[in-house]
Amino acid sequence: MESKLLPLPEAVRRHTRDGMLYASGAALPIGSDSIVFGRELVRQRRRDLHLVSHCCSQQLNLLAATGAAQRVECGFSALEGFGFAKGLRRAVESGQMLLEDWSNLSMSLRYLGGALGWPFVPATTNVGSDLQHRSAFAPDEYPARRKIPEVTDPFGGKPVGALPPFKPELAAIHVTLADSQGNAIMLGTEWSRWELSRAAQQVVLVADHIVHTDCMQQFPNLVRIPGLIVDAVVHWPFAAWPQGSPGAYDLDEKHMREMNEALASEAGTHAYVERYVLGYRDIDDYLDLIGAETRERLEHGPTRFLLDPFRRWLLGRDAIAELTQAA
Amino acid sequence: MEYTSQEMMAIAAGREIRDGELAIFGVGLPMLAGFFALAHHAPRARAMTEGGVYGSTPIGGLPWGIECNRISANAVSFTGALDALGCLVGSGRWDVGIIGAAQVDRYGNVNTTGIWRAGLDQHYVVPDVRLTGSGGANDIASGAKRVIVMLAHERKRFAARVDYVSSPGFLEGGKARWRYPFAGGGPSAIVTTLGILRPDARTREFVLYGYYPFTDIEAIRGQTGWELKAAPELAPVPEPSAEELDALRRVDVTGMLRKGSR
Repeated sequence: MESKLLPLPEAVRRHTRDGMLYASGAALPIGSDSIVFGRELVRQRRRDLHLVSHCCSQQLNLLAATGAAQRVECGFSALEGFGFAKGLRRAVESGQMLLEDWSNLSMSLRYLGGALGWPFVPATTNVGSDLQHRSAFAPDEYPARRKIPEVTDPFGGKPVGALPPFKPELAAIHVTLADSQGNAIMLGTEWSRWELSRAAQQVVLVADHIVHTDCMQQFPNLVRIPGLIVDAVVHWPFAAWPQGSPGAYDLDEKHMREMNEALASEAGTHAYVERYVLGYRDIDDYLDLIGAETRERLEHGPTRFLLDPFRRWLLGRDAIAELTQAA
Repeated sequence: MEYTSQEMMAIAAGREIRDGELAIFGVGLPMLAGFFALAHHAPRARAMTEGGVYGSTPIGGLPWGIECNRISANAVSFTGALDALGCLVGSGRWDVGIIGAAQVDRYGNVNTTGIWRAGLDQHYVVPDVRLTGSGGANDIASGAKRVIVMLAHERKRFAARVDYVSSPGFLEGGKARWRYPFAGGGPSAIVTTLGILRPDARTREFVLYGYYPFTDIEAIRGQTGWELKAAPELAPVPEPSAEELDALRRVDVTGMLRKGSR
């Protein structure tokens, strides 16, 4: 079978466009996310993105700070232990980017609705709160009419919320392990990547490691994203950096802070983009930016053992290059 | 006994967790309070994060997030948000959650979305200060059998009515919450740096139930943006025991709660 491995710039060229409804996965604030895909979106100057981001990750923080995202729908808009997302905050408070608020469960339910092809998802969450009544996308409506309209439970008679399903044009999903066919294993919380992979019209995987297909045949129960629904696979080590990837690497505390501080201002964002977005040509350059010592330390975190059962199938860079389609 | 008001708050919130319960804790202070309870008086309580990280305890410091490697090194199951927040919390199965707040009101409604200095009228405008948003807190506040809200007791945070209801408490009070199909019963306590508030059984307005050894009723009223009534049971909250402080400090290895003074 033909390999789905693509170089990152080519995957972004083929599968993205200005103004698209784009979802990243897992879109966690300190853990899994396809952050390097977001860096490439900025490198290729994609604009006016309507971003679907379960939580705020450093990818959303960057796309907000650089002005690439015009609208965002989000369940959590900060970086957990690293505090407020300063790029997002600047973009929202200045009015440059519209942020529509949901909760983490309602984001997952909306993916599930998209995945199942449902017209709406009945919800017993978000109702009664301002997540239902207030819409940044329809500021003149109070209460908002089309965000989470109420329908009557035909069995119990109480009002329930009708959540609108998501069908993103593209989901770029970070995974720990993928094979060249797009079969993928995620270590750590899956968060919402299973339902997102089914909701999206196109799926590009961004994998920390590429493995031989024998690995997937050894652990088929762990393959929660089968290659059948995947359009392209990108290999990129430390793809979620500065965030962490259980089993593969820890989060980089220093860079988490530096990046967030930089995105707090326009000048800082410009400097950050020069160095950490435009400042590398390829994977080796990127790994140099992180630094050998830092990588070594991050790879020896407390969850390193989670990768052990899979190590015998990890492919080296030469084998991956052979499987990667030419641009 | 030397302890900070933050430590008193974490211990008071932790005391709300009973042994054997199914529990979920938000990042930061709620996690410290929750894991203190597991380490001290609730060894058979079982915890899970919003990401469906089951059965684990923190390793190497307070987790940076619900998906952190520090909370993933001794888990027995990894699932996801739909499972944790939906199947287990949203369904009404989960006993108790602890959530943080930027602002809370007299009916236990929580705001973590934004601050609007001039209030927010019918027309939605962007907030003057953008906060964290709901995360899983709205889902926990909707679905968990009971919810404990934790925050610093300051007047600006204790409003008669929050600017924005990110997570529902008792909404407009009385029976208002029961217009909706929530599986959960709403907030059972607001635990602060000064004391403990609980809802009146009929009006659902939060009233003062306990105050810490280092404060008094008038000081707490001065920091509350509504006319705070006293519960009939109002009493001083016992100060932390040596065993409690010891257990808390083993969980709070980086001393996050000891940095503030009272």
